[in-house]
Amino acid sequence: MSDPFIPEIARIVRVADETPDTKTFSLQFRDAKNGDGFNFVPGQFIELSVFGYGEAPFCIASSPTRPAAVEATVRRTGQLTDALHKLGTGDEVGIRGPFGNGFDVPAARGKDMLFVGGGIGLPPLRGLIWNVLDERDRFRNVTILYGARTPQDLVYKDELKQWASRSDVEFRVAVDMAGPDWPGTVGVVTVLFNQVTLHPETTLAYVCGPPIMIRFVVRDLLARGFNEEAVISTLERMMQCGIGRCNHCAIGHRYVCRDGPVFNCAQIRELAE
Amino acid sequence: MQPFALTIGKPDTARWIEKLRESAEVIAPVRGPCGDVVFSTISAAAQVLWDFENPLYPPKQFVLPQTDPLIKIKRSGKRHEVEPVHDDSQRILLNVRSCDVKGIAFLTRMHAAEPADDFYLARTNSLTIISLSCTTPCPLGFCVCSDSGPFLRRDYDLQLTDLGESYLAEVGTEKGEAAVSRAPELFRRASEGDVALREKGEIEARRHFGRETCHFASAMRRISTGRVTDTLWEKMSDWCLECGGCNFICPTCYCFSVKDLACDGGWIRCRLWDSCQYAAFTLEASGHNPREDRRKRMKRRFFHKVSGQYYLRDGAVGCVGCGRCVKVCLGATHMPAVVAAVRKGEWHE
Repeated sequence: MSDPFIPEIARIVRVADETPDTKTFSLQFRDAKNGDGFNFVPGQFIELSVFGYGEAPFCIASSPTRPAAVEATVRRTGQLTDALHKLGTGDEVGIRGPFGNGFDVPAARGKDMLFVGGGIGLPPLRGLIWNVLDERDRFRNVTILYGARTPQDLVYKDELKQWASRSDVEFRVAVDMAGPDWPGTVGVVTVLFNQVTLHPETTLAYVCGPPIMIRFVVRDLLARGFNEEAVISTLERMMQCGIGRCNHCAIGHRYVCRDGPVFNCAQIRELAE
Repeated sequence: MQPFALTIGKPDTARWIEKLRESAEVIAPVRGPCGDVVFSTISAAAQVLWDFENPLYPPKQFVLPQTDPLIKIKRSGKRHEVEPVHDDSQRILLNVRSCDVKGIAFLTRMHAAEPADDFYLARTNSLTIISLSCTTPCPLGFCVCSDSGPFLRRDYDLQLTDLGESYLAEVGTEKGEAAVSRAPELFRRASEGDVALREKGEIEARRHFGRETCHFASAMRRISTGRVTDTLWEKMSDWCLECGGCNFICPTCYCFSVKDLACDGGWIRCRLWDSCQYAAFTLEASGHNPREDRRKRMKRRFFHKVSGQYYLRDGAVGCVGCGRCVKVCLGATHMPAVVAAVRKGEWHE
């Protein structure tokens, strides 16, 4: 990956339907040697080319502990994602990256891990979750709280079942609206805080979801005694270059694509212009 | 190399330019078909203007084109191949004003920083800049306020100064030396008197600036520390028509977007100038837009150009005092007006 502007060609090897408008694409580098230099940490992102439509930033939804394919979970919401959703197994896309800082996994070892995801905000956490679960003995309690609008909007449904069935993971899920056939909790994701035991002094909380959800989750966590440094999120901006040049993602003199996208709450508070 | 100075008689410049044209594309201010002065490739030395109003479009387009091809994407069936497009053809920018030389120097510093932008650098590495110092400042310029003119001490390859019967040619780099060596017989060593005349010309030029001034230092203090009220940004941005003109004519603006343009059954991936004053600049696919308010967008523009944070990073304010935004801004929210309002903390109603 010598030139940061030149994408490497990758092939779609699997497409999984997550929700009516969201799919997970598993990608492999076509020219194997070019994939060798692709070392990433959870929380980093790629610029994904859909040829003819340009490129857009997507977080890497897979874990570096499972290097067989790079995965991106994409909601169909514009021209490029619409075109991407029409592609299938064997079709080619371009990958630039990985970009950004990512989550500091080594620093989290020995801690309690709390993941709070909202809707399509789970993919950035999913890479980290699998990274943690694949090195399970290096971490203490693992708690995953996930909220979505309706049961239909839950992504990674099979994996949610796996997490729910594991004895070494505390997993809770809530939806805002559900029919009578939904057996679980109804409410916003913060209602789940009362269903689990939190240890603010020893826990790192990873929060990802829509801006409004992040705001309420962070407020709740701080009120429950979490330090701002222990509440970590990833910011979303319209990143086009990934290297701090195009200025779409600038906040003050910081660039979400280079200085982030992972920030703790204390850092986010200082991002001002 | 050690800088040195030569002179060339005015009648000899045409022969020199013809020599330059043999080995490079020469771009200079010329009179366009409708009477405007524009930077354009010349086909004869006689086209070159020596006494002119600085073109509305800076020569930025020759180092960072509005549509800048980066990669060729070839397609055959389902298979794609990509290859970079590097433009390293030899170009000479002739009679560029000091502010515009500073603008290119600013952009080059930006693009040479890690990770270096090979596409940009391919162009500038094969570009020779021959500047023409401003013995008569332009009416809207305020380059003295940002150390960008009217004469240059560095950043040029060759700096020409009108001495009356001849031009002083200060050679600053090897590229400048190569340009004079295309016709060495036309140049002679400058005398001490020639150099003294240039110094006098600079002092004289500094005395004759127009009405626009721009006190960056005190505005920088306020902008860097968030001491400009939202109300003031709101009032100023009420006058902004969101045309993006200030961005596109600015010698130091470089924000871009990436698009694929169809070409030969494949595509050319291009970066295109974009404007931070457009609402869609920060619009995300989700619909979330962190800078939906015009107030925030205007604040962003001036933070990028005038804040101490960026000054420390870039080594200069993001303004070369060319005065073009004064000319194009329909809402009068141009650099000197905003800097003045920020200093005073008030905006006309």
